[in-house]
Amino acid sequence: MSKEMSLEDLSSIKGATSSKAVEELFNTIKNAPLPAESKDFNNNAVALEDLRPDEVHNSSELEKKLIKQNFPKEKNGYLVVQKVIEN
Amino acid sequence: MASQITQLHEKLVSKEISCTQLVQEKLDALAKNQYHSVNFLLSDLALEKAKAVDAKIAKGEKIGLLEGIPFGVKDVFLLQGQHASASSNFLKNYISPYTATAIQKLIDAGAIPLVKENADSFGHGSTSENTIFGAVKNAHNEELVGGGSSGGSAVNVAKGYTVFSIGGDTGGSIRQPAGFNKVYGLKPTYGRVSRYGLMAYTSSTDCVGPIASSIEDIAIVMNAISGKDYHDQTTYESAPIDLSEFNIQHSTFNIGYYSDFIDNKGLDANIKKDFLAVIEKLKAKGVTVKALSFKNADTLVSTYYALAMAETASNLARLDGSMYGERANADSLKESYALTRSEGFTEESKRRIVGGNQVLSQGHADEIYLKARALRAQIMDHFNKDFKEVSVILSPVSPASPPKIGGSLKDPLAMYLSDIYTIGFSLGELPTLTAPVGTATGIQITTAKKQDELTLKFAKFLIAAL
Repeated sequence: MSKEMSLEDLSSIKGATSSKAVEELFNTIKNAPLPAESKDFNNNAVALEDLRPDEVHNSSELEKKLIKQNFPKEKNGYLVVQKVIEN
Repeated sequence: MASQITQLHEKLVSKEISCTQLVQEKLDALAKNQYHSVNFLLSDLALEKAKAVDAKIAKGEKIGLLEGIPFGVKDVFLLQGQHASASSNFLKNYISPYTATAIQKLIDAGAIPLVKENADSFGHGSTSENTIFGAVKNAHNEELVGGGSSGGSAVNVAKGYTVFSIGGDTGGSIRQPAGFNKVYGLKPTYGRVSRYGLMAYTSSTDCVGPIASSIEDIAIVMNAISGKDYHDQTTYESAPIDLSEFNIQHSTFNIGYYSDFIDNKGLDANIKKDFLAVIEKLKAKGVTVKALSFKNADTLVSTYYALAMAETASNLARLDGSMYGERANADSLKESYALTRSEGFTEESKRRIVGGNQVLSQGHADEIYLKARALRAQIMDHFNKDFKEVSVILSPVSPASPPKIGGSLKDPLAMYLSDIYTIGFSLGELPTLTAPVGTATGIQITTAKKQDELTLKFAKFLIAAL
């Protein structure tokens, strides 16, 4: 079932292919010796007791207006999205 | 150079100059400038705020140190009701719905935003050529690049168009352009300043910091923008930076530098000679200097870019033209996404997004992405050990002087490699200042995490010593 996705599909960029410059950087990582004590860093993880409350904040009227203004397409007062359901 | 903020504050209070006059002069200079440092002028907003400051002074009310001081904002920060383009086609008409925390704190302190400044698109670049607004020209030689990605911000400060500017630094984007344009630029400790309202590039190294013409001004701005923020859980509370009691005569420092950095074949001979001359001068002043070894030097650039590309691919996945930005219409949703992203991003941004998806994809994540994370952990350990032996680490800012405009984007690998001296300290989350002294592109001063005040104190000492 599993099918490897192309870089074009993963990136949603037409004609996307790997770049020689980037490949060179990645080859350096592949060939680097693994640290003796291999570990990950998680310095920025927030402690459970320090998590902010899970709460809803209403945006200001101006913020709501600007968000709507930024919407790419509007017709007769409705925000128009791309067709999602295809034939 | 003395604090411009303090000098202008005194002029405003003594009515030697009105705030409206000050702001108008800066706006005029920005409008006329040929350096491509401006994306959008904020004339109406700035003049309205200037009038309010003048009214306050006229009534005899006290004003704060930053009140009425004009500043620039890299065009990757949100400022409610104003453009936020990230120097991209994608967001060229986007209007910020809210304001970034760092910018709001400055506005709350009375500082006046003047301009959204040109930069590499989404922070992707080291020269400020990767922009739809034209390559930023160096403040001291218009044939050369302004550095990047906060190139417009550094040029505006160097030319005196802004008193200070707020930049973003992911892998050197404040420090390198500061060095290229001979001004000060600080990348604070990661988490000292909120990233809320900064367009995310590499969330694990993105930092917000000031570019200014004096160490004192860097400290004043840092004290206004630092602090824990509800909207950014990686932030922490910090004490204000206090340089008032610092006595250069009675200070002792134990410094180090990485000999691997200086022995790098890519380092320009003059920068190497000048850097080593700085080290000798410090030794002559009685400073203890230790040559350190940085064993990850060969993998530094690759480690940084593997992680940076992975994170930017994830962060920019949200830009698909559905909710905001330019949308290219097509027959299907999938085709619309692909067309929108293909037309909206620059070639350099696409290269990084594709590289990031490559790193994160099945079959590559273990051998590249997870390995890069392990290497980063090793680099952080390395810094922790070194800062048990020395209190300050000095390094060059860049391996060479600013290149000519037009060449860097054609050779991306060379551009990535030119970040070698700045990116390590980003991976380490360490406070690092570029001081425009010592070499053609300045000197980097790095201290241990949360030692931002010490970084600035050493800078004062270094200026006096040279």
